Formats: sequence, C-alpha cells, structure tokens
Amino acid sequence: MKNIVLICAAGMSTSLLVSKMLKYAKEKGYECEIAAYAAVDSARAIPTADIVLLGPQVKYSLAKFRTTYPTKKIELIDMMMYGMMDGKGVLDFAIKVLG
Amino acid sequence: MEGTELICFQIIASVGTARSMYIEAIHEAKEGRFEEARRMIENGEKVFLDGHHAHLELLKNDVLGNKPEISILIVHAEDQLMSAEGFNILATEFVDLYEKILK
Repeated sequence: MKNIVLICAAGMSTSLLVSKMLKYAKEKGYECEIAAYAAVDSARAIPTADIVLLGPQVKYSLAKFRTTYPTKKIELIDMMMYGMMDGKGVLDFAIKVLG
Repeated sequence: MEGTELICFQIIASVGTARSMYIEAIHEAKEGRFEEARRMIENGEKVFLDGHHAHLELLKNDVLGNKPEISILIVHAEDQLMSAEGFNILATEFVDLYEKILK
C-alpha cells in the first residue's frame, strides 16, 4: 500500500484536499494512505512516505526537501489543481509519478 | 464544492504561490542573481493578483448582503493573503539589500 504525504504551510487547507483524494481513491479502488502535514512537522512524515507532494505555499522549499531526502519522490501540487481542490487530478498525478 | 469554500481555496492557492515566489526571490538575491530575483517578485505579484480578485468576490458578496459564513478556512485565506503581502514588501527590501552588499 502506497503512503502519500502532502505538505503545506499549516497542514490545514491540504487536509481538505486529502479528504477529496481519499474519496476518489476509494471510488477507484486504489489502496493508499494519504495524510497532510505542516511543513514544520514534515520530518516525522517524510521518511515513511512513498511520495511527498508539496502545496503551492511551500514550493520554495522543494530544493531543500530534495537535498535532505535525495532518494524520495518529491513533487509539487499544481496550483490550479490545488485552487480547485481537484483530488482526482492530484491523486492521478501521484499514481503516475509512483509508476 | 460550495462557493465560499472554493473562493477560499483559490485565494490560498494563488497568494500561497506568490508568497513562495517572494521567498524564492530572496534565495536568488542571496546567490547574487538580482535580475532573476526581481522577475520572481514580478511573477509573484501577477499570481497574487488572481488571489486578490478571488478575495474581491468574497468582499462583494459580503457587501451585497450575501454574508459568507466565517470559518477557519476563511480566516486562513485572509491570513495567507496578509502574509503574502508582507513577504512582497520584505522580499523587495531584501533583494535591494543583497544587491548593496554583494555588488
């Protein structure tokens, strides 16, 4: 089962995206764990993640995260998808990256 | 998704991206890349404007008597907007400052 971790500034707005992604995953029959964390709390979530998705608010820390976790798949969430709370689009993107 | 909630997310996505770009501008300036830094701030302002327009929708609804329900999400959107505005001012100052120091 894949572990998908979302990170944003406070972990708050992303939580709603997580619920939309989980709903779509259930419909699709895709087994995964998805959870949202605040950037300051990311160290406890990233080590066990299969993929880390960053919200647009923390885009500036992409390079830092990739340097700290060189073997992790770390990607940005598209701003339009985030603004529309497009759980389907974000989950499909994560599945594509996970391969 | 309900109207107000959607507007909040549009605000958060746009101004959040802008805020991130302002911080990236400071990183660029720190490396001595001042043109890139200023372009980053300009691009951030363009994205911020989208969030500002979404915010105007909220204000318009409020004035027209269609008062939005005050939720944590709205407060968060307002908070992100103000934070981004502050970062714009600071990033502009930081870029100038790094330019003075490094050039």
